[in-house]
Amino acid sequence: MSYAYLFKYIIIGDTGVGKSCLLLQFTDKRFQPVHDLTIGVEFGARMITIDGKQIKLQIWDTAGQESFRSITRSYYRGAAGALLVYDITRRDTFNHLTTWLEDARQHSSSNMVIMLIGNKSDLEARRDVKKEEGEAFAREHGLIFMETSAKTAANVEEAFINTAKEIYQKIQDGVFDINNESNGIKLGPQQSRSQGGMNQAGGGGDSQSGGCC
Amino acid sequence: MDYLRKYLSTPDQGQRPSGADTVERLCNRVTSSTLLDDRRDAVRALKSLSRKFRLEVGTQGMAILINVLQLDRNDTEITGYALDTLANIMSNEPSEDEDEMQLNLPEDIGSQFTEMFIKDPENVSLLLSLLEEYDFHVRWPTVKLLTVLLTNKSREMQECILVSPMGVSKLMDLLSDSREIIRNDGLLLLIQLTKNNANIQKIVAFESAFERSLDIIREEGNSDGGIVVEDCLLLIINLLKNNSSNQIFFKEGGFVQRLTPFFTLQPADQNPQGGWSAQKVTNIHLMLQAVRTLVSPSSPAQQTQSCQKSMYQCGLLQELCSILMATGVPADVLTETINTVSEVIRGNPGNQEYFASVMAPSNPPRPAIVVLLMSMVNEKQPFPLRCAVLYCFQSFLYKNELGQSQIVQTLLPTSADANTISAGQLLCGGLFSTDTLSTWFAAVALLHSIVDNTTQKEQLLRVQLATSLGNPPVSLLQQCTNILAQGAKLQTRVGLLMLLCNWVAHSTVGVTHLLHHANNVPFLISQISASEGDEHELLVQGLCAFLLGICVHFNNDQEPNYTKQALRQIIEKRIGIENFNDKLSQVTKHEGYSKAAKKPQLNLKSQNEVLFDHAFTRLFKSLENDILKSVLEVQENGEVQSANVEEHDKVVMQYKEVIRSQDEELGSIRQELLELKNKYSAAEKQLEEFQQTVQQLKDQNALLKVGRGQGQDNNGAELLKLKQEVEAHQKDLEEKNTAIEKLKNDLTIAEAKTLVAVSSEENGEPVPGEAAILQATVNRVTQELEEMKVSIANKDQDILQYKNKFEESERQIGELKQIPPQTATTVDDSRVAELQARLQGLEGDNKTVTNEKNTLQERLKKSNEDNLKLEDQIKKLEEENRRILEEKSEAEEETKSLKTEQDDLLVLLADQDTKLDTYKTKLKELGVQVESDDEDLGDDDLDDISGDENELDS
Repeated sequence: MSYAYLFKYIIIGDTGVGKSCLLLQFTDKRFQPVHDLTIGVEFGARMITIDGKQIKLQIWDTAGQESFRSITRSYYRGAAGALLVYDITRRDTFNHLTTWLEDARQHSSSNMVIMLIGNKSDLEARRDVKKEEGEAFAREHGLIFMETSAKTAANVEEAFINTAKEIYQKIQDGVFDINNESNGIKLGPQQSRSQGGMNQAGGGGDSQSGGCC
Repeated sequence: MDYLRKYLSTPDQGQRPSGADTVERLCNRVTSSTLLDDRRDAVRALKSLSRKFRLEVGTQGMAILINVLQLDRNDTEITGYALDTLANIMSNEPSEDEDEMQLNLPEDIGSQFTEMFIKDPENVSLLLSLLEEYDFHVRWPTVKLLTVLLTNKSREMQECILVSPMGVSKLMDLLSDSREIIRNDGLLLLIQLTKNNANIQKIVAFESAFERSLDIIREEGNSDGGIVVEDCLLLIINLLKNNSSNQIFFKEGGFVQRLTPFFTLQPADQNPQGGWSAQKVTNIHLMLQAVRTLVSPSSPAQQTQSCQKSMYQCGLLQELCSILMATGVPADVLTETINTVSEVIRGNPGNQEYFASVMAPSNPPRPAIVVLLMSMVNEKQPFPLRCAVLYCFQSFLYKNELGQSQIVQTLLPTSADANTISAGQLLCGGLFSTDTLSTWFAAVALLHSIVDNTTQKEQLLRVQLATSLGNPPVSLLQQCTNILAQGAKLQTRVGLLMLLCNWVAHSTVGVTHLLHHANNVPFLISQISASEGDEHELLVQGLCAFLLGICVHFNNDQEPNYTKQALRQIIEKRIGIENFNDKLSQVTKHEGYSKAAKKPQLNLKSQNEVLFDHAFTRLFKSLENDILKSVLEVQENGEVQSANVEEHDKVVMQYKEVIRSQDEELGSIRQELLELKNKYSAAEKQLEEFQQTVQQLKDQNALLKVGRGQGQDNNGAELLKLKQEVEAHQKDLEEKNTAIEKLKNDLTIAEAKTLVAVSSEENGEPVPGEAAILQATVNRVTQELEEMKVSIANKDQDILQYKNKFEESERQIGELKQIPPQTATTVDDSRVAELQARLQGLEGDNKTVTNEKNTLQERLKKSNEDNLKLEDQIKKLEEENRRILEEKSEAEEETKSLKTEQDDLLVLLADQDTKLDTYKTKLKELGVQVESDDEDLGDDDLDDISGDENELDS
């Protein structure tokens, strides 16, 4: 499990927009049409490569329901990236973005990278929110924007990876303080000091299994 | 702090007022005093009384103290006192000083006060906000108070903290406090906070609790550390227990390998005399518990498997096994280590294989399994340790056919090596030991060597035992039944019966073997039919019924005396169906049965409780109904058969025939359906594929078009040239069109001019080249001409009339001249003169009309000339027009040919695309990544494509 950086992500947005499906598609490369409601928060992880560097993504998939809002708020601080998801076939989910964004900005570190995602792009026939509207919203609030489909996997990889690229760039630019873990960023075992050969040895063994997930 | 209390309480004692009065006075002072110092003193006094007069301070002072926290929070000292006081009145912890405690208080006074306090969630938020204060006097008592609140009203407090913004995060920050006492009390607080609340557990884990706790444990010296290590481990276990999300996080976060150093024993630990400190024993126990939480058999199998795998990969299993073989390890630690190893290897082939290869450092070296089994069948070993070894052995054989065959192999005569002690020998020795527990353990261990494994069941039948010299060898199976028949102790019999049931279940060969010995069936019958007996005997009778039932159910009629049918009849006659059922149900009624059915590990306090094994309960559950059915068949079949067997058979045969034909029909129809379904789904799939291909082709086409547009491709350039050509031609065409338009305009202007010219009778030259207008003019002129002709004709007629009149007049004159004598000459003369005058007038008239006629004819001639000229001009214009039209059609033809050329090129392009596609798929098949580039290209250039397409379409 030798990685250069570890980024913590959260996925937020209204209930039923496909947050858990996005995570499942990203971590397991599969789509589950029927998914239970997420209770509280679920965890998933995957390794990606950016700029030749291994980066571990730890992703917390939050419940969209209002009743879990106080729980999910606890995850804003300590996340380096957030995927803010709406459903292109349901305008109300788009209309709620402002609330979500306010919540996120209020509780997170100011450097958190937010990626706006219009999910369910496969349901073109039922589209209710134009792509241009999403783009405009993203431009207005300084977010990255993408339309994805957790069902067909279109742009799912890109959404997670582009967010990571943005964070990586911010690290390179010195915006993030890497030693402050509450930013949601951690240096890999071989880069941080004071961790002896034990981890290295363990890490070597685990990277063999790491490939699958 | 004690000295403070004494110091403060002296004046109070001097006045000897009642406690309640003093508290009331102090409360008044806190509320009414305007001086901070006064208030501070009063709160300090309240604090000192808060244990002795807990009830009074609590009832009268709580609201006041909360008020102090709100209003005087800028003064750290008074805030600290108030917090301490609140903690004192709510805490149920007994004070060190016995006299200080107020007696005769209700037990739950602390939780009652807590309830009062948290009734207003604002109070909890207030405490959480106080945590932001770095001052020790505030932060520490706040931590302690929060811990008390959490201890008393766990669930309510958890909800309050969850709802409070960043509540959990603030508490997590305590772990980073540089002051050790706050960090340690923060740990205690977190342990309380995370109890039984998955949401909080996840947030705490998200806030890097694993990392922090593991860091602290490492800094404190792992298992050699103090109570802080214990607290960290308790927190980690809280976070992991029953929380699969956190377990995945723990594994994915790479924390499993950080557990390995916990179990690295120092040389000093291996000293048999040294002994381990109590703290170390506790720490190791908790560390083992943490490991077991990750690989618990009740967790989802996939997750357990991946944790087991990484435990092997990071060397944790190896360290655990070295503890197993080490000396000087306390027995309870050893037992728990064995249990932990069991769960780390359970059902994981790789780990089981490793475990089989572990050798004990004895002389000669023996496999660890053998050494462990030696402990299991040794009655001097502690009972929990023996249970742990059995669990380990079971876990080693769980879903491990290879391991099972290895164990059974050691019992077979071929591989018997007299010099080494094998697992098989130990198990046989145990089976026939005088120690009843050893027999039970060995029987259950053997049971697990053959469970769910028909091959090994049959192999085990081959095992022969040498009895005393001279006697023929006895089979292992027979020896078991012999011991049973001798009426040994309960546990021995239960153990052996469970082994036998498992052995012959699903094995017709085994059943035949068992039935072959003449004594076995009568023994079972006698057991089952016995009417008397206590609870224990009933249990044995139930197990015997189960064994006999298995013999019926898995009977293939190879043993002539005890065929299926024969056994049914025996059961019916000797035992009775009702009785048989009743006996069988005795097994599940036993409380030990349901206990064992719960989980694979033996969880028994004393050795008297040893009865059932988990694997056996599974077998019983799965076979109970089948056996009942098998045995019940006796009745139904028996009755019907006795009625009229032959007729019945005939009817049955007929029905069977019908059913068979129907079955065949059904089968063919089903197959047809299946085929159709397949065809349908295939067609659908094809359709979908086609659709996808079309879409892809479209996309790629668009992409390629763009590519060409950018000049990345030769074809693109060509296309561009063509496009430009087409454009140029179109422009030409347009220019020509405008020219024509202009000409038309000119023509109208010319028409207007001609009109003017005609109307003003001026022979202004008409502007040449305006055919239509000229034509119109000509038309008009011709019309005029016609009109003139008509008028001339009229005049001609007039002239003719006049001529006629003239002739008539002349004739009249002639007549008159011929008859002059008849008339008076004067009259005649006057009449002639009159007539001559009239004639002259008429002649004048005639002259003017002729003149008029002449001028008109002249005008007509001129008009005709004009007309001719105009017609000439029209001809010229028409010619010009024709030329332009020709040019236009030429241009159109050229465009058409260009278009067809372009179409051909597009077709060519499509062909190339398909080729490209096939090459791509081929490349993909060859493992080259092609797709990603295309997709990137596609995303970036999507807008350009649509623009280009629009241009082309127009």
